[in-house]
Amino acid sequence: MPKTPLTDQVYKYLTALLCCSAILFIFIIALVLIKYSYPSFAVWGLNFFTTTVWNPALNGNIIYKYGIAYMSGSSYGMLVFFFGTLASSGIAILLGVPTSLAIAIFLTQVAPRRIVAPISFLVELLAGIPSVVLGFWGLLVLGPFLLHSLEPAMSTYLGWIPLFSGHVYSYGFIASGLILALMIVPIVASISRDVMAQTPTELKEGAKALGSTNWEITRKVVLPYARTGIFGAVILGLGRALGETMAVAMVSGFAHYLPTSLYSAINTMAAEMALSLDGSFTDPSGMYVSALVELAVVLLVITMIVNVVARAFVKQGFVRSAEGVIRV
Amino acid sequence: MKKISSNPRSAVSTIAVVAIVVVIIVVAAVGAYAAVGMNKTSTVTSVVTSGTTATVSTTAVSSVTNTVTSSVTSSVTNTVTSSITNTVTSTASSTVSISLTSTLPSETVLETGSSLLYPLFNLWAPAFNAQYSTVKITPASSGSGTGQSSAETGTVQIGGSDPYLTNAIQLTYPYILNIPVAVSAQQVDYNVPGLAASIHLNFTGQVLAAIYNGSITTWNNAQIKALQSASVAASLPSTTIIPVVRSDSSGDTSLFTYFLSQTNPGWSATIGYGNTVNWPKVNGEQSGTGNGGMVTTCEQYSGCISYIGVSYLVSATTGTPALGYAYLANKAGNFVNISKVNIQSAVNAVAPSTPADERISLEYAAGATSYPIVNFEYAMVSRNQNVTGMALTLRTLLEWAISPQYGNSATYLNQVNFVPLPASVVQLDLAQINEITGP
Repeated sequence: MPKTPLTDQVYKYLTALLCCSAILFIFIIALVLIKYSYPSFAVWGLNFFTTTVWNPALNGNIIYKYGIAYMSGSSYGMLVFFFGTLASSGIAILLGVPTSLAIAIFLTQVAPRRIVAPISFLVELLAGIPSVVLGFWGLLVLGPFLLHSLEPAMSTYLGWIPLFSGHVYSYGFIASGLILALMIVPIVASISRDVMAQTPTELKEGAKALGSTNWEITRKVVLPYARTGIFGAVILGLGRALGETMAVAMVSGFAHYLPTSLYSAINTMAAEMALSLDGSFTDPSGMYVSALVELAVVLLVITMIVNVVARAFVKQGFVRSAEGVIRV
Repeated sequence: MKKISSNPRSAVSTIAVVAIVVVIIVVAAVGAYAAVGMNKTSTVTSVVTSGTTATVSTTAVSSVTNTVTSSVTSSVTNTVTSSITNTVTSTASSTVSISLTSTLPSETVLETGSSLLYPLFNLWAPAFNAQYSTVKITPASSGSGTGQSSAETGTVQIGGSDPYLTNAIQLTYPYILNIPVAVSAQQVDYNVPGLAASIHLNFTGQVLAAIYNGSITTWNNAQIKALQSASVAASLPSTTIIPVVRSDSSGDTSLFTYFLSQTNPGWSATIGYGNTVNWPKVNGEQSGTGNGGMVTTCEQYSGCISYIGVSYLVSATTGTPALGYAYLANKAGNFVNISKVNIQSAVNAVAPSTPADERISLEYAAGATSYPIVNFEYAMVSRNQNVTGMALTLRTLLEWAISPQYGNSATYLNQVNFVPLPASVVQLDLAQINEITGP
């Protein structure tokens, strides 16, 4: 066996070590989360996932269950936040995905070559806007607009549809959904565009030769070809929407009960964690902090699953279209 | 690329070996740290206990001399309708004289906490630095809960907080001093269509609780009308009331719900008080983040009602639309304005019964003119400092802050609508400040 030079040895172990530190970090985070959320898991059990009352009861007395301290009269059920997280992300997908697909189709199939680059750049620039800036815009511009213009009109003309009637409010479902839609469009659009661009020219030319129109080529060749990748892109966007904190915290309306209409205020798991962290420190039993950490564990598990699934789909989409070259 | 992939098995095994080694090292390190950490905690506790019992001996270290020449006598006469622009001729200012040390070591003092106290600390920091160029203060607005926990864990020297530590938390952290540095208050704002912002509605704690629990839903409700003069009652519209609450955890929520708890046994039994409470479900209830968010939200909704810290009184009453603010019923049954003299009466009513640790509520105080939602703004400071020179710096800074000549002068307090501490409280403060010791 030839002797490897010292520099190569150092290089090999140093890079391996740094690589491990990233993996290790995930383990440490997981350990810390488990340690801090344990009291909440133990005391509230399944009720944490099935009830809607989130009441820290900060001026109660400290009582004990299985030797774990918590406040008398307190109760932690995450259903309101869980529902708010899924529902606001659902609205974001509903509004954001058609827009993203339109952008991707326009850029790959319709647009003249010289405007593709500037438009792609501008769409991806949208991803660079800090979420707090979007939240600020939602707070000052979007909220009042919804309250005074859009929602009264929706309530008047679409009020016959269930969920579209009732009092209108500036912050809540629609504001959160719109902000989240804005945030996922750049992700979904750019990945969908890349996947669509992988469609082999031979297939498109073949379809053209058979007399297909441009729309038929897109619908019958490009979209079926890119389907898996697009699906992955949508799930990746969903992952972004689920975990978004700041922008949603600013426009969600901070509900502590389940919504009754499309205009209702909501609250998400991430927003609740951000807004309640300060108050949790004033709970002498420490249960409030533990419950917030349990919320973090649930959110982490959901976003991890979503991201793993998304990556698998996106990867497969590229594998299929590019003959084994893995791009993601 | 090729080099690595030519020998994938060895690369994998390298990573595996290094990973295992790293995991072992880290587990050992964490274990060692945990063991050391436990020892550390017990040391701190023992130091604390000895610190509390041996406070008398620590006064020798202090290089500051304090003289309190006479106790305060309130000479302020209040009219119920006195306006907020009234300035108090505080008798306190002439009675306490604090002589400060002239030089301090080079230190950086970290302050974090209450967003209500933050603007005041932000005024104090450059002024103190101008007087003591060696000391830098970095105030941060992070919330009272963060202020408390950061002071408890020692990550900052001063934690700002609206409420004092609850009994349970104080027992866990006996070394934390609760030192009042100023007096704040809270107003109830509203946006009622057709009602000029200059008209002040009257409210009792009972009616406010009924609004916030959803049993009163419109502005022309008979219970609200009964509190107003005939002409104001007649002008109240049938608009739906939109109660606004704080979305973030806040000392303001604690103050407001404490007032409701004091005035309503039912509220006290079901909701209680705290930085975060489980608000009753009211149709159409809205929320705001921070005092600024409360003002913005209330401006958007005609029919809103909200509770906002006194430092935001001007911004609330000069926005578009301008919000009105209420006269609140005090313990004596009078409807009183949130004027400085009325805030001062509430403080003066409680000042004589303030305990040595100064953990006392100023809310719903006795007295004909006492405004009902008033509170001390606290600096949470550990009595044991471990950085050389820090104890002296903190003592001087806090004495400067509560001194009527410096930090508690109208120059600073008027900018945030706060009220100075009465002389008897300053005296108690000085005793607590002298307990801060260290190398």
